Amino acid sequence: MITRRELLRLGGFTLSVMLMPEGYKILKAGETPKGYAPNLWINLSRDNYLTVFVNKSEMGQGVYTGLPMLVAEELDFPWERVRVRPAPAGRPYVDPKMGIQLTGGSTSVKNMYEILRLAGASMREMLLSSASKKLNLPKEKLRAEGGYILTGERKYAYGEFSELARKEPLPSKPRLKEEREFIYIGKSPPRLDVPEKVEGKAVFGIDAFEEGMLYAVVERPPYFGAKPMKVETGEAKKVPGIVDVFTLSSGVAVCGESFWSCQKGRERLKVEWSESFVKGWEDKDFEKYFRQKLKERGEVVRVKGSPQSSFEKAPFKVEETYIQPYLYHATMEPMSCLAWVKKEECLVYAPTQSQTWVLETAKRISGLPESKIRVITTYLGGGFGRKANVEFVAEALEISKRLGKPVKLIYTREDDLKSGYFRPYSATLIRASADREGNINSLSFKIAVQPLLGGRASVEGVENIPYAIPNLHVERVDVELPVSFWFWRSVGSTHNAFSIERVIDRLAYEAKRDAVDIRLKLLKDNPVAYRVVQTAAEKAGWGSRPKRGEAMGIAYHFSFGSHACHVAEVSLDRKSGKVRVHRVVAVMDVGPLVVHPDLLVSQVESGVIMGLSMALKEEVRFKGGGVENTNFHTYPLLTMSEAPQIEVHILTSNRQMGGVGEPGLPPTAPAVANALLWGYGIKVNRLPMSPEYIKTLT
Amino acid sequence: MLKDFSLRINGRTYKVTAFEEEPLLWVIRERLRLTGTKFGCGMGICGACTVLLEGKAVRSCLLTVRDAVDKPIVTIEGVPSNHPLKRAWIEHQVPQCGYCQPGQLMEAYALLLENPRPTRQQIIERLSSHLCRCGTYGRILMAVEAASRGGKT
Repeated sequence: MITRRELLRLGGFTLSVMLMPEGYKILKAGETPKGYAPNLWINLSRDNYLTVFVNKSEMGQGVYTGLPMLVAEELDFPWERVRVRPAPAGRPYVDPKMGIQLTGGSTSVKNMYEILRLAGASMREMLLSSASKKLNLPKEKLRAEGGYILTGERKYAYGEFSELARKEPLPSKPRLKEEREFIYIGKSPPRLDVPEKVEGKAVFGIDAFEEGMLYAVVERPPYFGAKPMKVETGEAKKVPGIVDVFTLSSGVAVCGESFWSCQKGRERLKVEWSESFVKGWEDKDFEKYFRQKLKERGEVVRVKGSPQSSFEKAPFKVEETYIQPYLYHATMEPMSCLAWVKKEECLVYAPTQSQTWVLETAKRISGLPESKIRVITTYLGGGFGRKANVEFVAEALEISKRLGKPVKLIYTREDDLKSGYFRPYSATLIRASADREGNINSLSFKIAVQPLLGGRASVEGVENIPYAIPNLHVERVDVELPVSFWFWRSVGSTHNAFSIERVIDRLAYEAKRDAVDIRLKLLKDNPVAYRVVQTAAEKAGWGSRPKRGEAMGIAYHFSFGSHACHVAEVSLDRKSGKVRVHRVVAVMDVGPLVVHPDLLVSQVESGVIMGLSMALKEEVRFKGGGVENTNFHTYPLLTMSEAPQIEVHILTSNRQMGGVGEPGLPPTAPAVANALLWGYGIKVNRLPMSPEYIKTLT
Repeated sequence: MLKDFSLRINGRTYKVTAFEEEPLLWVIRERLRLTGTKFGCGMGICGACTVLLEGKAVRSCLLTVRDAVDKPIVTIEGVPSNHPLKRAWIEHQVPQCGYCQPGQLMEAYALLLENPRPTRQQIIERLSSHLCRCGTYGRILMAVEAASRGGKT
């Protein structure tokens, strides 16, 4: 919660936005209806600074810029006087569409767009009304621009009226700007988080401190599904600075006065772990298990026409099984959390994507009511979905509760990799056929996967496939395994885009049709998607020789409300099996307008790099039922020397606003695989396209 | 065993008690609270912990505090705000999550000290020893090139 003291210190004029049963409402500070916690979102100080409290987590995607912009736009306020602060955790700050406080699904700007603009516009109208009274001039003679009230002769900083404005009634319907009046939306003001990130002053979860703080590390099981059975702590406790060693549900906590004491103590632990179903499993065991699962009957999610008979009768057909591995999020900041459970109150510093789940966890572990729990959202050193999971927060809370002291829990890179919550493994059986003209007439898709969101997220991108394929079958077989899995940037679309876009090119290849033509034909009733594919082909120079590589591949995918199409220029060294991607042309349509073009461009650049890293290098491997990769030498990420030239083209269309953070990732991997097909005749049916794997195909 | 050490960081002398073999990284970050230097892997692979020791870029997770005693250390906090690299990083809006950026910038800082006009290939070779999960590589490259042109971007 924002404290009363903080409100007083800020002074000036404050508007809050509150979630009511009937929807969002703009309120003045102090006018909180009974039964609702007071909250605060935007403040205009006497000395003319605007502070926006953002209810979304900044993990690199730019919400600390994109959301304040919306307020500053309508208020018409100078950018260099805008400040951003994380909103507290609590019911008033939930996302209006999700009903919880969560940053995910590429929705922040989309869901907050209207309400933040209204808040800024309300503030502006109230400033104008109060200025009109104070200056004794009719409101129509005044203008509010660039942080000043202009009378025609003189100008007054907004801040001068901040105390008066808060006495004005809230406008019932504040006027929003027309598009042509925008000073920020559609332009790219500098990110508000960049200066402190460049100075090394940005505080991430791992950078939090409290006086008297202890450290903790947690030793976790060597394979999934195990718990500590017998722990010998004696030797560990002899290490100087060790405070306590005890068992948690997830492992063994080693707590001490410094991180290094904990690390030394951990080395001397002896732990016996319980048995598990997957103990001893290696990569091949997973593949066997998932392939077996594909033979079972699953849940049919969608059927259209008669896919079976169309397939049987078709002149061109492809049947493939694609294997895609577990993937690690590899946030550069490993999981870390500082928790302090006291008798009367609880404090948590967390690099979290989900304040609501942190609050719930803190309530459960501390036994305290929400009003006694303070959650401070730090910067996130990468999120990609992983930091919406709160198991690391729970561990820190449990440890602090036991010790009665503030405790900073730090995952080492090895801990982080071992802890799981991966992008799920999948095996996909896909059958597709084309008629004599090479038009795709059936697609049958069956995936075996650990289900996310009850399975809904696992068929994303295929259940709602934009291609007009007359005969369609989508089926999901749920797999149960003790390997923990979770949302990974762009979720189900990470694997489904690959499967669909691969099989389309395989069919085009068999039927000797052009990969762009075959897609355009399937998208002729979807003008937005059509234009995205067409533009990508044009910008990439489709049909001519690639500028820098030897082969070109294309892939299109619709996810999180946005259409994306990538063309990759690729070359292959047949001898080593090394795939090189030289250039990626990425086109995205995000709907009616782009709030901040440079943020969009950087998110697409980011998606392409992460997508390429996944395509070429990433794979969680298993040994003994646990993760074999231990650190970045065995789970390598794409580096600068492997990064392609990326060109991003933005399109807009008159429809609902789409997301930006995730849709730029899914088309990259299939575009590269498709280039290998057309350029080298190589039929990739698993990821990653590592040199070892590619060599088996050449 | 815990011992007392003296470190020279950003022109200041710090007295600190630490384990002899404790990595310099953890001493800088957690004991001295200069948290701009980041922990990423603990194996010298990701580069997030890069600092300058006697003018050379080093991975502070691989050095012990003992290795660094009385040798001048520069961390991200010690690079002036008006340094061409910091200005270029802002100009090109390089950071996304920002976590790896201090390490990237310190590597570039060391590179420009050794070679004020590196070629594009030299920059790529050098910075390829750093990981960025957000994929800001293209912008890092632009920023280093801009800074090496004397801050003219």
